[in-house]
Amino acid sequence: MMFAGAFMMGAKDRLLPPSVPFRFFAAAILYHVAGWAVLLWAAADIPGHQGGLGPVVAGLHLITLGVLAMTAMGAAYQMLPVATRRQLGPAWACVLSWWLFVPGVAVLSLGLAGGQEWALQGGAALTMAGLLIFAILVGRNLLQVSDLPAVSWALWIALAALLGLMALALALVLDVSLGFLSDRPAVIATHAVIAGYGFMGMLVFGFSSVLVPMFVLSKAVPDAEGKRLAAVSSAALLIAGLGCWNGGGWGAAAGVVLGLAAVALYGLAQRRVLAGRMRKRLEPFFRLLKAGWVMLPLSLLAALALALGGPIDPLAPLWGLLMVFGWLLSFATGILQRIMPFLASMHSGANGGKPVLLSRLTAQPVLTVHAVAHGAAVLLLAVAIVFDLPLLARLGALSGLLGALSFLAFAILMVGRYRAHDRSS
Amino acid sequence: MAGAIEFSTRPLQQGPPAWLAAALDEGALDVRPLLAGGEDPLGAILEAADGIGFGGFLVIDAPFNPSPLRRILAARGFSSYGRRLNGGHWRIYFHLNGAAEWEHDSDVAVMDEGAMVWREEDGLHIDVRKLPQPQPMRAILQLIDSDPALLCLVVHHERNPHFLLPELAERDWRVVRVSEEFQDVRLWLERGR
Repeated sequence: MMFAGAFMMGAKDRLLPPSVPFRFFAAAILYHVAGWAVLLWAAADIPGHQGGLGPVVAGLHLITLGVLAMTAMGAAYQMLPVATRRQLGPAWACVLSWWLFVPGVAVLSLGLAGGQEWALQGGAALTMAGLLIFAILVGRNLLQVSDLPAVSWALWIALAALLGLMALALALVLDVSLGFLSDRPAVIATHAVIAGYGFMGMLVFGFSSVLVPMFVLSKAVPDAEGKRLAAVSSAALLIAGLGCWNGGGWGAAAGVVLGLAAVALYGLAQRRVLAGRMRKRLEPFFRLLKAGWVMLPLSLLAALALALGGPIDPLAPLWGLLMVFGWLLSFATGILQRIMPFLASMHSGANGGKPVLLSRLTAQPVLTVHAVAHGAAVLLLAVAIVFDLPLLARLGALSGLLGALSFLAFAILMVGRYRAHDRSS
Repeated sequence: MAGAIEFSTRPLQQGPPAWLAAALDEGALDVRPLLAGGEDPLGAILEAADGIGFGGFLVIDAPFNPSPLRRILAARGFSSYGRRLNGGHWRIYFHLNGAAEWEHDSDVAVMDEGAMVWREEDGLHIDVRKLPQPQPMRAILQLIDSDPALLCLVVHHERNPHFLLPELAERDWRVVRVSEEFQDVRLWLERGR
């Protein structure tokens, strides 16, 4: 028999130390600020951007790798073992992935901004090493799982996409020095599709099937629905990826249409989750999740227009904006602002004292500033891209930076309140 | 729905045997269709029982408490634990262990999520083992939220439910005691006073 304080320290299913997920979350919050700061610096180049090295691509990767992938890693390390009821792996491996990934993203972004080969290749090597450790840890966990297809099928596709996007990223980095790619824009487009919809998108689909029900206290997505979603999504990714590789056209368009079908399945499943929830009042973080859910099909419509021969300017940068900032960044920051105080509250109860209240840890006013500023940033940038207005793009990036700084303030306040509780208990 | 179940009028139950945790993984042999078709399922059950090695499990779904069957299998070394899931549905767990605890029953209520609820001397118990995430947390909170008069609750979980703590704290509930056995982590929860 043991008392409440001791049970959290039980060896059988000990949680990772809080320092593991929170180091990823802290890095994500700082990269969020850095990403918007770089985009503000390069805002005039955002309208009409066609890819290629420079600060816009650097800012984009600070967000995709530094915020989105970083958040996914921290959340997966903490949540996946709980969802699957299987051990993840040693904590040191998680920490090692952080030590490789965090400097890797910084160095790679430097290389993407300035074109230095040493930074591109060194940064890519470090980043990929961190991601490979993540893939191995998650893959080992999933190998033990046979009873949670709504999560495991989506995550297997995400891992396959991760390997694919890393292979393409490696080719793109080496191409800067060796110039062997005959159609670099097609490779960039394929890389973007597999990274955005394949890796990050399938992580969103997989974790949504268990995280959203947990947050709203509803039933998990049924296995059959999860399998159907994974099957349609994987077909969409494969067809769209091959279509992009071949320069777009009807192949890519068919993949996008299948992607829209997958999004419809995902939307229906999430709607059923929300309809059956116990927590009647949705918390404020849901604003961002809902905004992301609206932006996802919009991004696919932009992709469809692009695949069917619409003008690359403004469709290509608009598609990237809607996918990365409209959908994924909205979703990731929404999840992050819920999961951070939740995990902090959970760990605060580990010493046997009363856990600090979730509501106490969440500084809602600064999160409201973040939500408004983030929404304004996406809207202003979209208008700036469509009408080729560099000044408006600068305002949009400024708004994004304000949102990122608000999010940083939320994190600092949360840590302060956690420490105050810790001292008093 | 737990809120619709009147637990206070139900008789006190004994807790489930320790081996039940492992038996929950087993698929059930449902003999109700055979009985509905006028067939005697005894042959099929005994055949299935013959395939069970020492330490193994057999789970039978039946429309009533099959006491004669339980005694027949007890003579073959099976302990049994029966749960009445609803009026016309019993689930009997058999464990080949030399019939050490040969017959043991519980009259449980089954919530929407599949959680089982019953009363023992120390209060209301809920068993959420083997439920997929996040059903365990949902079932526990549903029980707590549905009855303001509920002051304590004993939870049978297969692992430490770390994610439950913030939700309990928000509701002014706390974990006061824990016991940890293989696949049976019990938590005694209390409402703040």
